[in-house]
Amino acid sequence: MRIAACCPAAAALGLAPDMMLADARARVPDLIGVAHAPYADHEWLEALADGCGRYTPAVALDPPDGLVLDIAGCTHPFGGERALGVEIEARLARRGILVRWACGETPDAARALSRFQTAAAPDEDAAIRRLPVAALELDDEATTALGRAGLKTVGDLAARPLAMIAARFGGAAVTRIRRILGEEESPLIPRVIAPPMRAERRFAEPVARTDFALEVLGELAGEAMNALAQAGEGGRRFEARFFRSDGQVLRLAIETGQPSRDVKVILRLFRERIDSLADPIDPGFGFDLIRLDVAVAEPLGASQLKLEGGAVAEVEVAVLIDRLSTRLGRGRVRRFVPRDTHIPEQAELLLPAAEAAKPAAWPEPEAGEPPLRPIHLFDPPQPIDHVVSDTPDGPPLRFRWRRTLHEVARMEGPERIAPEWWRRREGANAKGGLTRDYYRIEDVRGRRFWIFRHGLYDEVEQPGWYVHGLFA
Amino acid sequence: MSFAELVAASNYSFLRGASHPKHMVGQALALGHAGIGIADRNTVAGVVRAHVALKEKQAEARELFGHDVPFKLIVGSRLVFADGTPDIVVYPRTRCGWGRLTRLLTLGNRRAEKGGCILRFADLLEFAEAMVLIVLPESSFDPDEVDEAKGSRPESEDSSNVVTLEFPDRHPGLVPGPTGQQATVSRLEKQTPAQGRGDGRLERVLGRLSKALPGNVWLGVSMSRGGRDRRTLARLCRIADEARVPVLATCDALYATPEQRPLHDIVTCIRKGETVASAGRLLEANGERHLKPEEEMRRLFRDRPEAIDESRRILSLIAFTLDDLRYEYPHEPVPPGWDPQDWLEHLVWQTALERYGPWVPRKVFDALMEEFWLIRHRKYAYYFLTVHDVVKYARSLDPPILCQGRGSAANSVVCYLLGVTAVDPVQFDLLFSRFVSAERDEPPDIDVDFEHERREEVMQYIYRRYGRHRAGIAATTFHYRARSTVREVGKALGLSEDVTQRLTSTVWGSYASSMEDDRFAMAGYSLENPAMAQLKTIVDQLLEFPRHLSQHVGGFVLTQDRLDETVPIHNAAMDDRTFIEWDKDDIDALGLMKVDVLALGMLTCIRKAFEMMRCHGLGDHELASIPQEDPAIYDMLCEGDSIGVFQVESRAQINMLPRLQPREFYDLAIQVAIVRPGPIEGDMVHPYLKRRKEKRERNIEIKYPAPAPLHGPPDELKEVLHKTFGVPLFQEQAMRLAIVAAKFSSEDANRLRRAMATFRNVGTIGNFEEKMIGGMVRRGYERDFAERCYKQIEGFGSYGFPESHAISFALLVYVSSWLKCHHPAVFCAALLNSQPMGFYAPAQLVRDAREHGVAVRDIDVNASDWDNDLEGGALRLGFRQIDGFKQDWADKLAEARAVGSFTSIEELAARANLPARALRLLADADAFRSIEHDRRSALWEARRTPGDVLPLFAAADARQLGAEADAQLPAMPLSEHVAADYQVTRLSLKGHPMEFLREGFRREGVLSSAEANARKNGARARVAGVVLVRQRPGKGNAIFVTLEDETGIVNVLFWARVFEANRRQIMAARLMEVEGEVQKSEEGVLHIIGARAIDRTAELNRLSEDHVTRPSMAGADVSLTPDYRHDTAPRGSHPRDVRILPKSRDFH
Repeated sequence: MRIAACCPAAAALGLAPDMMLADARARVPDLIGVAHAPYADHEWLEALADGCGRYTPAVALDPPDGLVLDIAGCTHPFGGERALGVEIEARLARRGILVRWACGETPDAARALSRFQTAAAPDEDAAIRRLPVAALELDDEATTALGRAGLKTVGDLAARPLAMIAARFGGAAVTRIRRILGEEESPLIPRVIAPPMRAERRFAEPVARTDFALEVLGELAGEAMNALAQAGEGGRRFEARFFRSDGQVLRLAIETGQPSRDVKVILRLFRERIDSLADPIDPGFGFDLIRLDVAVAEPLGASQLKLEGGAVAEVEVAVLIDRLSTRLGRGRVRRFVPRDTHIPEQAELLLPAAEAAKPAAWPEPEAGEPPLRPIHLFDPPQPIDHVVSDTPDGPPLRFRWRRTLHEVARMEGPERIAPEWWRRREGANAKGGLTRDYYRIEDVRGRRFWIFRHGLYDEVEQPGWYVHGLFA
Repeated sequence: MSFAELVAASNYSFLRGASHPKHMVGQALALGHAGIGIADRNTVAGVVRAHVALKEKQAEARELFGHDVPFKLIVGSRLVFADGTPDIVVYPRTRCGWGRLTRLLTLGNRRAEKGGCILRFADLLEFAEAMVLIVLPESSFDPDEVDEAKGSRPESEDSSNVVTLEFPDRHPGLVPGPTGQQATVSRLEKQTPAQGRGDGRLERVLGRLSKALPGNVWLGVSMSRGGRDRRTLARLCRIADEARVPVLATCDALYATPEQRPLHDIVTCIRKGETVASAGRLLEANGERHLKPEEEMRRLFRDRPEAIDESRRILSLIAFTLDDLRYEYPHEPVPPGWDPQDWLEHLVWQTALERYGPWVPRKVFDALMEEFWLIRHRKYAYYFLTVHDVVKYARSLDPPILCQGRGSAANSVVCYLLGVTAVDPVQFDLLFSRFVSAERDEPPDIDVDFEHERREEVMQYIYRRYGRHRAGIAATTFHYRARSTVREVGKALGLSEDVTQRLTSTVWGSYASSMEDDRFAMAGYSLENPAMAQLKTIVDQLLEFPRHLSQHVGGFVLTQDRLDETVPIHNAAMDDRTFIEWDKDDIDALGLMKVDVLALGMLTCIRKAFEMMRCHGLGDHELASIPQEDPAIYDMLCEGDSIGVFQVESRAQINMLPRLQPREFYDLAIQVAIVRPGPIEGDMVHPYLKRRKEKRERNIEIKYPAPAPLHGPPDELKEVLHKTFGVPLFQEQAMRLAIVAAKFSSEDANRLRRAMATFRNVGTIGNFEEKMIGGMVRRGYERDFAERCYKQIEGFGSYGFPESHAISFALLVYVSSWLKCHHPAVFCAALLNSQPMGFYAPAQLVRDAREHGVAVRDIDVNASDWDNDLEGGALRLGFRQIDGFKQDWADKLAEARAVGSFTSIEELAARANLPARALRLLADADAFRSIEHDRRSALWEARRTPGDVLPLFAAADARQLGAEADAQLPAMPLSEHVAADYQVTRLSLKGHPMEFLREGFRREGVLSSAEANARKNGARARVAGVVLVRQRPGKGNAIFVTLEDETGIVNVLFWARVFEANRRQIMAARLMEVEGEVQKSEEGVLHIIGARAIDRTAELNRLSEDHVTRPSMAGADVSLTPDYRHDTAPRGSHPRDVRILPKSRDFH
């Protein structure tokens, strides 16, 4: 593992990028390491590029940590190149970002100056000629070779016939030199901003009818779905905005549990949402713009219909869950999910149905075997008393529950479930709780209980007994 | 008592069993069982440990009660089949049955790639004879396991074929193998216990086996407390009764006591790559799989009491024990018609006559007669002949491979005369009989070292000569060490990597075998934190667990009969290698013969040196022909001038040399042995030096440590300690001490010796503490001496060093010193040609040679070859010093040069047909000086010279390149040349980097190392230099740093407290300035006790502005301590990642 980046405090301790983490730890044992997330860095850079949109529309990314701004003709509002640079520096410094910047005739020159310039120079050309050859960003071997040849600055190279350089370091090196010197054009490739999936309709006259507005929304949804289908995606979150002529904007958002391209489903969800609102859409003096954004989209392949017709149950359930969740709220619609544990009361979880991943399979009961788990679980388990049983692990022969005495007729067990020793509960002995011995019990009247003894006789002196559930 | 647990796994069921074999045996004994059956998954790797543990317990019992405890250990294996057949535990009834079992396992092992074992039911039917089979109801096969081991995934179609073929009449339909299905279902579904139940597989397997082996098949049933035990029992009883197979009660035990459940859960998590919180039902629901007392078993099996008694019946059926593995030596080395003993004696007498003439000296004759008697008595003739055979082969090659034997038996007159060693034991009073005592029924021990570059030839010879079915390499059991344990347990407990990383970083090196409490404090964690306490508890238990088997570096086991009928054989990771399942200790315990074929870098170096001397007319030598006891050599060593010399070149050894003042050969053996954990931890070094000085200078009579007059004669230790002035230094002295002074019985001593050998593995040595110290104190020895002796034994435990090893090594010390002293150029060249080896980097070796007056010449295209070589007394560096240069380029170049010298770079490129990269490397190494190009101009020229010449130009012999104007490159300053030299060849003959910085440092008042070394004791000094080595030996109280500048080296010592305060500077600096106090010992050894360190690495940039020095980048933590283990080749690789200076060698 190597260090990808370090904070100023770490740098002050002599740590630097590209160092082995083990080496760094040998020097600074209490180093805090955080995993490098290049993707997050890239997103951050994109966000900065967005922000720089305020200075110029042409912003190009120079990953992993650079931005190139084409400021031709954009400097006057800020009072010139230098003032613009200072402004950017100050603005980003407020967010804790250290900026190195430079202006240049060509993007390559600006880039090289900002990254490699170490001392001020009278003019740009002199500054460029003073740059170390590393600024050419040739491969390591070529950079070393230039150094070995005693050519240490861009100026050293530029002073010699470029044919000599080409013969030794290839045409690409010459191109680099010429570009940095501004002798060759290097186009700036502005960042391509993926447009959000969006459909909108402007009206010459404000539209005052809600019905019509919804109809338009339907059309917009159709357009958006087509765009989604082309991208091989389905929307998970849709946002509709109704711009009223008086300047107010009404916003509606819906989500689906699975990516969807079904216009009908989306529209129905919007209707549900509108119905559930306390104050349905009020057009006031009318809407002059309606916009539909697909805020979150996920890959969705083409689906295949069943040849024999009819709906796929899974899809139906998903649609139902979406409708209910939209109407009642996400947290209100939940489903049971099995959990992989031996502890019975933790064996299932209730999760918001819209969030739950594809439902995992439940353990199948064995054919011909009576069920191991009861149909109803008490939470918490209910204590029983007057228990008569054999030590060390005999079943209860008789017990009293809810003031009724039960005589045991049949039983099976014990099923021994040991505590999860790694959970350190306060109070209980350090093993994370007590072992339980579960018995399936049928009393003389045919009622079936799931009873456990809490603790083995060598764990506690007087283990308690509980009914944990009832079989049908 | 009539119950025995017969389905018990040990931790050799890797990451399934959670108890050592000996704990299993111990617990069964403690519960009063009638016996135990140890059966691990498709392996018998752990059974020897169980066997040995039982023997030890019985010995203890004999001592306590006067008789053995009635207890029977049976050994076998739990077969897990890849075709879904229920697991079957197999115990051989006879020696023949054992052979069949091991062959069966070998078959499965060889079928899988390394690490797996793929067995099918049909295989068992083929081999199941003379075995007891216990069929278990379900299969525990886990397809992931085989996958991980990169074995081929078990073929589900194939497994169905097997079943269909097996039961054509009963089951014509296709039975899908469960493996194919299992792979696809989710974990939740996999958990359903339906598998193996109700599909009739169990019934078929039982039916088939009971027909094939009537009376030898049982159905093993355990009460897992799964909620329907009694019904399951009834069902299985029904099945068994139908098949007329008796039911056997078991626990299917995975650990000895219920307390080990957490550990078992953890190993399950490690195996599955889960955390305990996420593993869910991969873990067992409860902790019932431990050994249970008989009453408990009877209560659980009250529905079927006879199931308990069956265990006794099985025990009575089994006659086999591991003691039945009678070993037979291979017969090859003896010509037909000869008795091995006669042949051995014949060979020995032959050479004895050659060496001594008709009058063999009396001492030799007596020693030989005694050895012959012992060899005949113990039937060792085959062993000596086998070793002789291997050595003879190595010598017969052209050029011969240099080799030398060591180990107890190696220092016998027989070995000396057979040419296995070059050390004359008579001269050093080494009694063979002392090493191979008559009561020890173990084979003798000879390790043979070969040149490290050519050992493979010897290994392949052994395979060729004895065949793969009779020769196998021993296994090495990898154990959980502190680092790996903390990392894996931490992960399983769900701790973040940051936490475990911080904990493991307190362990220097990966071999530490304990995780002491203060390590947690050092990492900033309190053991009062429950998470940490839990981690520590489990780590303590898991430490020393076997992790996996791998092949030993060179221990061969050879047999006369099929080896796979003694022990299963595995495929090794390396092609062409196979290894057996037992490691060195197991092999020793069973009395199998092992020949260690080891690799030693110094032998390569010595052979290359001898060869070079022959080529250059400097004499024809071999190990035995070096002039003996040359005083010049001892003069050299006494001054601590030993860089490059075998074994005594490390900083600690160099410091010891002037104190010890070696003056004769035996002193070298002591020198080698004294700087080791044993004598150091036993605090024997200073007493030894003191006594030695007294004896030498004032001839004071040695006073031996003595018991109280009541208990024995005051000089009872004289016999043991007279050679070392009354101070025990060698391993066998410590052993004799236990017998003579602490009155250990020879059996006790034997156990102590075994415990010492396996200290790292099993940690049994503690039992002997009271016995030894108490025993000595009771007999009137001083407690302090007794404690030190015991400490020493503990120290030996990890890296024991017997006298015989030391003497064999001493010979190599002597020979390499002789080379260094009389032929420094040859020695340096040979060392460079044998890299990587030894302790020093090429720069230091070359520097040392130059200091000894050797002229060293630069690499040059018109003079150098691949290897470093002599050139009229001077040393000419070879192309192998250039990082990244290839040997065949060098060969092509030399071939092209044979016609005549090169006159231009282009001509060289054309004639030698070298690729562009080779040319650039040569230019960068400044190797074109003889054709008037310095590095800069050569590089400029080479970069435009095309590597591959166009055929037309070649045919016309025309110049391909046009003329070019002068580029007017600036001249390259010397400092930059030096920096570039270091970058490319890791050494420079032009200067030392510090030279160019000297001016600046002098102005600051920083001394050179020569000046510092001339300072008086106690003076303050500031020095600066390039960091060569950083070391933190032993307990880590002190950190040693070696600095180098243009005038020499200086050793700096930082105490731990200073180190912590200056940690960053000390760890980071390539160029370090140190402020401290000069400390000079009596013998003139100088250290600077560092008070402050300053990182001056940035100064290096001034050598050449364009090379920005980045922080050092090679991995930290090379190794814990300098390599004490004598049985491995030199380790550690050279740092290739070179910035301006080669990285220092750091030993954390």
